[in-house]
Amino acid sequence: MNGSKRGFGSGGGGGRGRGKTGPGAAGAQGKDGQRRPMFRRRKVCKFCAEKIDDINYKDAKLLMPFVPERAKILPRRISGTCAMHQRKLRTAIMRARQLALIPYTAE
Amino acid sequence: MKRKYELVYVVSPDATDAQIADLHTQVEAIVQRFDAQIEKTENWGRRRLAYEIGPHKEGTYVLELIEGGGDVMKEIDRRLKVSDLIIRHLVVRVDAEQVVIERTRSRRTETMRRRRIARGLPPDRAPGEGQRGDADDDRDDRFDLAEVDR
Repeated sequence: MNGSKRGFGSGGGGGRGRGKTGPGAAGAQGKDGQRRPMFRRRKVCKFCAEKIDDINYKDAKLLMPFVPERAKILPRRISGTCAMHQRKLRTAIMRARQLALIPYTAE
Repeated sequence: MKRKYELVYVVSPDATDAQIADLHTQVEAIVQRFDAQIEKTENWGRRRLAYEIGPHKEGTYVLELIEGGGDVMKEIDRRLKVSDLIIRHLVVRVDAEQVVIERTRSRRTETMRRRRIARGLPPDRAPGEGQRGDADDDRDDRFDLAEVDR
């Protein structure tokens, strides 16, 4: 993690796991916190935060960050996407894969 | 029953422009035969495929928005499967999703307006007013690929 994130963390670290992150996320972060006291930034669903209603399979640029190198769908625990949007994201990615807009796998 | 469908098909890169246009007229003919309409046609042009499909590495993408019953799409689907020039196609029903999207969008603006009025502000947000816009990212609480650590 780089310096700018830690800077924000010194002030807001205590607020981790609050609000919309949900009980599952909060538990995982608590465990992490013990092991290393460094700040883990609070995850926020990208689609909620930016108010993207339409997760469309045609928008490969939007979907690409959620299929890293091996082209697997990024799990929710890493991206912080909320359950509803992860579901929509999944269908969009699967449709985009059929049309070869997004790879199924990295060769 | 009128429904909206999106049809995207990928035409082989060897196809000439005339052949692509011909495919479009074929689709149009089927659509007219079933008494449906094409609302929009979009040619995305030649694009690189994310993976190789048979011998092809590129393809021409064409999008058609069709309003009509399910039987039209069934027939189009059948015809496109048979066609040699088409390497991939996808039919998606979109009307139900669009309704949901519209509803969430209108509901959000509605609640925003209500809350703003409750706070004694004009219902619409003036440009540059209030919190920092989405453009500046120094709050940095959103996901981008940078911090995937494994």
